[in-house]
Amino acid sequence: MQTFLDLLSVLILISAFILTATKRINSYIKAFQLQSFLLFLATFTLGIYNFTTKGFLDIFILSIIIFVLKVIYIPRLLHNTYNRVAYKVEKDFFINIPSSILICAALVILTYYSLYSLDGALNIHIKFNLVNSLSVVLIGLFFMISRKKAIGQIVGFLVLENGMFTTAMLSAQGMPIIVDLGILVDLLTAVMIMGMLVFKINESFDSINIERLRNLRG
Amino acid sequence: MKLLLYVFMQLVLVLLLAPLVDGIIKKIKAFSQKRKGPPLTQMYFDLYKLMKKDTVVSETASWVFRTAPYITFISTLLAFMFFPATVILHSISFQGDIILAIYLLGIGRFFMVLAGLDTGSTFGGMGSSREVMIAALIEPALIVVLITLGLIAGSTSIYDIMLLNLQGNSFILNPYSILLFAAIFLILLAETARIPVDDPSTHLELTMIHEAMLLEYSGKHLALMELASVIKQLLFITILANFFLPTGWLGSQATPMLSFLLALITYFFKVVCIALLIAIAEISTVKLRFFSVPNLAAISFALAFLGFMQFIILGR
Amino acid sequence: MNDYFNLILVIYIVAAFFSLIFSKKHQLTNLIANILSATASLSLLILTALHLIVSTSSVELLRITTSVPNISLVLKIDNLSAFFLLCLAILSMSVSIFSIGYMKHYFYRINIGLFNCLYNIFILSMILVITSSNLISFLVCWEIMSLISYALVVYEHDQPENSKAGLIYIIMTHLGTAFLIIAFMLIYVNTGSMEIASAGQLLSPYLKNILFFLFLIGFGVKAGIIPLHVWLPYAHPAALSNISALMSGIMIKTAIYGLIRFILVVLGASTVWWGVVILVLGAISAVLGIAYALIENNYKRLLAYSSIENIGIILIGLGLSFIAFANQQMTIASISLLASLFHLFNHTLFKGALFLGAGAIHYATHTKNLEDLGGLMKRMPYTGLLLLFASLAISALPPFNGFLSEWLTFQSLFQILTASNQGLKILALLIVAALAMAGAMAAACFIKFIGIAFLGLPRSESAQNCREVPIPMLAGIGLLALPCLLFGLFPQIILRLIDRITQEYFAVSISSGLKGISLITNNPLIINESGISLLSATIIGIIFFIVFYTIIRFIGRNTKERIFETWDCGFGGLNSRMQYTATGFSKPLRIVFRFLYRPKRLLWYNKEGPSPYYHSDLNYVVTTEPVFEKYFYHPLAHSLKRWARKSRFYIQTGSVHIYLLYIFLALIALLIYNWVCLTIC
Repeated sequence: MQTFLDLLSVLILISAFILTATKRINSYIKAFQLQSFLLFLATFTLGIYNFTTKGFLDIFILSIIIFVLKVIYIPRLLHNTYNRVAYKVEKDFFINIPSSILICAALVILTYYSLYSLDGALNIHIKFNLVNSLSVVLIGLFFMISRKKAIGQIVGFLVLENGMFTTAMLSAQGMPIIVDLGILVDLLTAVMIMGMLVFKINESFDSINIERLRNLRG
Repeated sequence: MKLLLYVFMQLVLVLLLAPLVDGIIKKIKAFSQKRKGPPLTQMYFDLYKLMKKDTVVSETASWVFRTAPYITFISTLLAFMFFPATVILHSISFQGDIILAIYLLGIGRFFMVLAGLDTGSTFGGMGSSREVMIAALIEPALIVVLITLGLIAGSTSIYDIMLLNLQGNSFILNPYSILLFAAIFLILLAETARIPVDDPSTHLELTMIHEAMLLEYSGKHLALMELASVIKQLLFITILANFFLPTGWLGSQATPMLSFLLALITYFFKVVCIALLIAIAEISTVKLRFFSVPNLAAISFALAFLGFMQFIILGR
Repeated sequence: MNDYFNLILVIYIVAAFFSLIFSKKHQLTNLIANILSATASLSLLILTALHLIVSTSSVELLRITTSVPNISLVLKIDNLSAFFLLCLAILSMSVSIFSIGYMKHYFYRINIGLFNCLYNIFILSMILVITSSNLISFLVCWEIMSLISYALVVYEHDQPENSKAGLIYIIMTHLGTAFLIIAFMLIYVNTGSMEIASAGQLLSPYLKNILFFLFLIGFGVKAGIIPLHVWLPYAHPAALSNISALMSGIMIKTAIYGLIRFILVVLGASTVWWGVVILVLGAISAVLGIAYALIENNYKRLLAYSSIENIGIILIGLGLSFIAFANQQMTIASISLLASLFHLFNHTLFKGALFLGAGAIHYATHTKNLEDLGGLMKRMPYTGLLLLFASLAISALPPFNGFLSEWLTFQSLFQILTASNQGLKILALLIVAALAMAGAMAAACFIKFIGIAFLGLPRSESAQNCREVPIPMLAGIGLLALPCLLFGLFPQIILRLIDRITQEYFAVSISSGLKGISLITNNPLIINESGISLLSATIIGIIFFIVFYTIIRFIGRNTKERIFETWDCGFGGLNSRMQYTATGFSKPLRIVFRFLYRPKRLLWYNKEGPSPYYHSDLNYVVTTEPVFEKYFYHPLAHSLKRWARKSRFYIQTGSVHIYLLYIFLALIALLIYNWVCLTIC
């Protein structure tokens, strides 16, 4: 099972890379969906494992919630938001794709360096998952920086959150369920608010390019 | 004697299998488009017919143009010799180093590109100039993947890397292998002129790369070049099949003949699987704009590099 | 041994004086001086090879002492210097033979006598640099070498760009020498000896780090490490081709000699990060050097940039060796040094051949621009073949020697990857990627060189009408290009010699990996349990060729070959203007790496055509930005100039009294310094 979880953590990292390599908003949402699905798989596996060995059901329940929320509901919400604003094909990134991929690779190295010196009781798999999931957090943040449109920011934020969730799941076998639920509810609210904001931005500026927000300074 | 036997078997294998694999990919693509497609053996007929045809050589061309097909073909074939279909074949003592094999492919490419420039045709130059760009971008990723594989195996010898696959019963499922597999798969698409990079079936001047270099070739020269390119394709498929896909149960040497046959059959099965994968990749993507190829190269490099990182964190 | 060596030196001197005396008779002096010099080089070759095979210790060759302490000329030969002399001898022998034919081009246009005199002294000065065992004589010979090479670079001084090239060269090279002087003085002050000998224990670690940087910059300028490389792409095209071959083939390697001698032997490379610095600089030089070579259309500048790349690869091996040495991993250190020195040797061969070949092209076509060439393969078949060999070797393709040294470099990187800590591992993998990229781009670069210059249709009158060069020139190129294949198939010959050096420094021999030089196949070169044998691969390749050629001939026995014009899309009459140009060939890479090249293009129309979309006459200019010059050297020079202009009136007031005051103050300061020193010590 450990190999399977390791594999999933790598795949989650790759999905973050796929996200940075995509250009279109539709593909952002799909990449996020893929990542969430992988996250669901990881949680599901852990849930089953915990249920069979320790009899706890909470991670299993959490995995179902993740599936409903992150794989189905939020992507659909994003799609709706996206469909409501006017579709315009324009260059959405500040840094071109090869460079941003290489920057992301550098981020992984950086995470690796900062975490590898952590000693103590960490076993190698935990360290491994920690590096991967923290890299996902950083890549999500980098994605938010490098994209111009508001939906990019939302997806980046979601990926960042996925990264944190993965960190909790794969290196600490999950947080108490109440914390997780709190985070998920927060997330849902955040996405909804941001979705509305996008709509508003579009209304006032005729574009969802948040560069335009600069006009708001006096 | 054993060496001779080995070389002979490997030769027969590659000459039989390489055109067939190309046929399989074409067939799968045809099915997806609801066509019947050419028969699997079409390429053998093509090659035979090409060899029986007159050759036309450009009056501008020098001896490079005439020798390039032979050098390309021989060096590609030689590179394939280092990638035995099964480890059992390999145990008949043949030294092979993975970097040497890749650089042997390089010499084939060197002459193919020169031949593209030799006729003085605009298309040849265009194909050549594009080919060297793709090569320059893809090469780092390729070498990084192979060195990482060597690192996992402890040596850059192809035999050791294959042995590693023999021991690890689920090598593909390792976190790093899947990354390396994906990286090589992307490299395969670029190196063998497959769809996101180059379209093997079109002759539209503005987009072609590999075909543009071969535009002036005809007759036996063209046959050799085509054969060389399918051998190269089989070589990369073999890398994927023998370094990543499992064949753990073939380690037993108790009944050499039987296990050899079984090994060959599994090898063939794995090759078909990867051909299927290539066909699916070709069906489901469109050709990239030429200057988007750096994206592909960057992705495959990032994958390769991540694979390496995962390996050094996780260990073997 | 001593006598033979001295005799060789005397022959060079005789050749120099002979050509000076008979400088009026161009044919005669050129022939005799070059034959003398080639003979001397041949004897040097035999001598050094014998030394490497037979003797292991260092031998004193010549001792001229003066009454002044520390000022003496002591020449010693040990394994390292013997190896560098070997490279020098092979190269200078071929260059001398080449010059017999090549200089005909310049008869009664330049002063051949003086040229040959300088040429011989140049070779002599390099021999002295390599064999000097004394800091002062090393420095003096180093300076003579620099000055004479400057004179040779500006030899065709009637062309203004040559003087500019010379100026850049002499400024940069003196910058390097300045650092060397400081380093040598520091060594002398702290050890009290002018001998070049191990001084690792006598110096404090702090001082050693300073010395490392001084040596790195001092020798780095000569080697052309990026960003100290600016002189190289100017100086090489300006010099005559035989001089470029010597400069690129061996002169820049005296800097590598200096790095090995002073950092490994004198300072005793005990710190890991020294190696890391060299490694990273090497990787940067390799990638950027070849990237700049790729877009160059002047073929001599292309070769000059490619030298930077190869120096980079040599430095990668050297850096790895230093790292491993500091980590006490002697096997890795020896393999890396082996790779480095083998690549150095190979680069001497193929870059020498390429520069001589460039000379041959220039001799035949009178142009240095790739865009004016084309179709030379039919007109100069032997030159073409030899240059193809050298290009294959420099592109690191099997079965040539360049591949083997690159393979060895990969193997040493691989060993560092398996046996080092995490940080180095990541660095080593990045270097692997850089090396692979440099390799692929080198292939692209030399495809461009061969493909544009030798293949296709001729692009100018002069390329149309050129003829094959005379036999001495071909012999000179062949003597360098054919060994590329020879040492690719039988690397054991040279690796055994280099093994002597690694044995001396690391006490590890890798000769168990070198199994004989017999013709039996499957006698691989085994490093890291992975063996390769280019010989057996070649033999199998030849057998395959014979078999398949027969089969194909048999199947197609009724076919014939038709010679017809190239397909021209039905326009009728393919001409050379429809071909891809050198600029066009490198365009895709220029676009991909536009952040590096920063290309700018200008397009303007001279004449309206039949429709506004088809202009009948237009100009297209593409330029790339020399990043280092623009963003580093120009601002530096500019601010220096501004500062000088401002401050000159403070110092140079025009009043004699003030000048006298300066002298007075200087004297007082010296006296006080002396007094302080005396009281403290």
